[in-house]
Parts: sequence; structure tokens; C-alpha cells
Amino acid sequence: MIVCVAVVGHQNNPLYLQSFTEADDALKLHHIVHCSLDVIDERVNNPKRSAPTLNETFLGLLYPTENYKVYGYLTNTKVKFIMVTTDLDVKDADARNFFRKFHAAYVDAVSNPFHVPGKKIASRSFGVRVSTIVKSFGSGTTG
Amino acid sequence: MIGVGKAKQYANVLDKPLSRGRQEVSLSAFAFLFSELVQYNQTQVDNIAELERRLEDAGYAVGARVLELLCHREKGNRRETRLLGILSFIHSTVWKVLFGKVADSLEKGTEHEDEYMISEKELLVNRFISVPKDMGAFNCGAFVAGIVKGVLDNAGFPAVVTAHFVPIEGQQRPRTTILIKFAEEVKQVCIV
Repeated sequence: MIVCVAVVGHQNNPLYLQSFTEADDALKLHHIVHCSLDVIDERVNNPKRSAPTLNETFLGLLYPTENYKVYGYLTNTKVKFIMVTTDLDVKDADARNFFRKFHAAYVDAVSNPFHVPGKKIASRSFGVRVSTIVKSFGSGTTG
Repeated sequence: MIGVGKAKQYANVLDKPLSRGRQEVSLSAFAFLFSELVQYNQTQVDNIAELERRLEDAGYAVGARVLELLCHREKGNRRETRLLGILSFIHSTVWKVLFGKVADSLEKGTEHEDEYMISEKELLVNRFISVPKDMGAFNCGAFVAGIVKGVLDNAGFPAVVTAHFVPIEGQQRPRTTILIKFAEEVKQVCIV
């Protein structure tokens, strides 16, 4: 189950932050997202492997905490997508699929001529699409 | 038994699947829109440099969004980290999506290390424009220069991009060249 998704701009400014739990630990989730930014920076600036994997957009599992897993995705414009989930076994393909749909929704939101790059994404339809994608992620991982 | 064997008929036109639609935009519609854009900006500014800057800013916004869109659509999972990579991306993919064809040529400047030029025999935006003599060297290609600048800046390669007319022997209309001059930090960081 995904508990939180976040979009962070290229100067690490938050563009969109949405949590999907009823529990009141939104602040803790924000904190987890914030810490994962450091992990992303470290991955991008110090590549562990050689060129072929240097340019990947999907960063994979960033770091596991006690009951959450954090996945990251980096777009070509250094905008980062972060997904926090409580699922214990997330298949790689599912996570990639999720980020692909999320990227599509993000591109549509940014193409809005009234959207100022660098400001928070204020589009309601983006929020609705993200909720749909998040809900379908849960059901896709059964079996 | 009449309905059997026929293709599925939709009772309601709203149930039909949407066709993908044609991927083209009418040239005349764009030409009108662009001419209005230039005319509107002309009334707002006092001099040529300001007009060029405004067109460039308009192009910058387009470039930023085009980069996001194309990277999602075409590039699959790869990010460009090399100078030559991003330049050839602009020269072929971006140009193809915006103007329907690849740019005529991409050259490396001879005097300076960090200058590159994309040339085009006739820019699509300039096709229906003739610049009056008293505006000097003004080129509406500043809009396209802005698009290129938007793409480069947002991909992490800050640059100064300008559009110039280059007269060619034997041709009535001069060729347009987009000159790209990369900022200092790009030279040090990127591998060509």
C-alpha cells in the first residue's frame, strides 16, 4: 500500500506532497521523503557502476526504514518522484510501471500554461489522477 | 441473426473509442498566432533588444515543457548527461516534433570551444515574416532560440542562445543560424 508520493524540483524544493493514510503521521512521512533526497543526490553524484546504468531514470529502492520502503525516480530535468510504500514485496516491474504513469500525469500537469515552473502543482485533476494511479498500484501487486 | 458477423456497432457515439487524432497542427493557425504574439509584444516594448528578449522568454516556457514531454514519450529510461547527446537530441528529436523535420545542420564553432550552431535554410516561424529595414538585424527566430534555451537549461546545461541571419551566396533569403554558447560550468563538468 502506498502511503505517500512526492514530487521534488531540481533545487530540492517540494512541488507536490500527498499522503494516503488516515493516520496522523504525515509529518513523519515528510521527514522520510526529505531524508531520501540525500540518498538520491548521493546516487546521482557518485555513480557506483559504469556508464550504462548512469543514465537510468528509475533509481529503484532508495532505502528501507523500519516499516516503509522508499522508491525514487529521476526525470531528465532533475525533478524527483518519491514513493513511500508499506508493501513488503514490491516487484521491480510494478514500481517502474507506477512511475511511468506518474511521469505521464506529471508531464500533463506541467504542460499547463498557467503552471509556473518551480511553484507547487496546484492542479486538482493532477491530484485525482495520482489518487487513481495509487489505488491501482495496490491491486496490481496481488498474486 | 442480422447483427452476427458485423463489426461491433456502438449504440451511442460517446461509447466509441477516441481516435488518436492527427498529430499535426495547421500551419496557418500557427502563423496567425505567432504574428499576433509578435505584434502584441511590439506594442509593449520600446526597443528591439527588449522585443527579442520577450520572444525568447516565450520560447523558454515552451522549451521547458517540450523537454518534459519528449523525455517521457521518446527517451524511455535514459537521461542525457553528455553535451553532444543533448545537442543531437535537440537537432533531431525536438526539431522533428516541433517542425516536422530534423534541423539542417549542427556544427561546432571554430573560434571558441563552447560554441555550437544549428542552421536551418528557413525557419518555420520566419516563413511568413519579413522584417522592415528599420528594425535592423531583428530575427523572429529569437522564439526558437528561446525554445532551445529552455530545453538546455532544464536539462542541466545552461547556455546563451541567439538567432542570427547568415547571408548565403546565390540565395535570396539568408540562412538562419541558432548560436549556442554554453556557460562556464558546462565546459568543466560535461564530457563531449
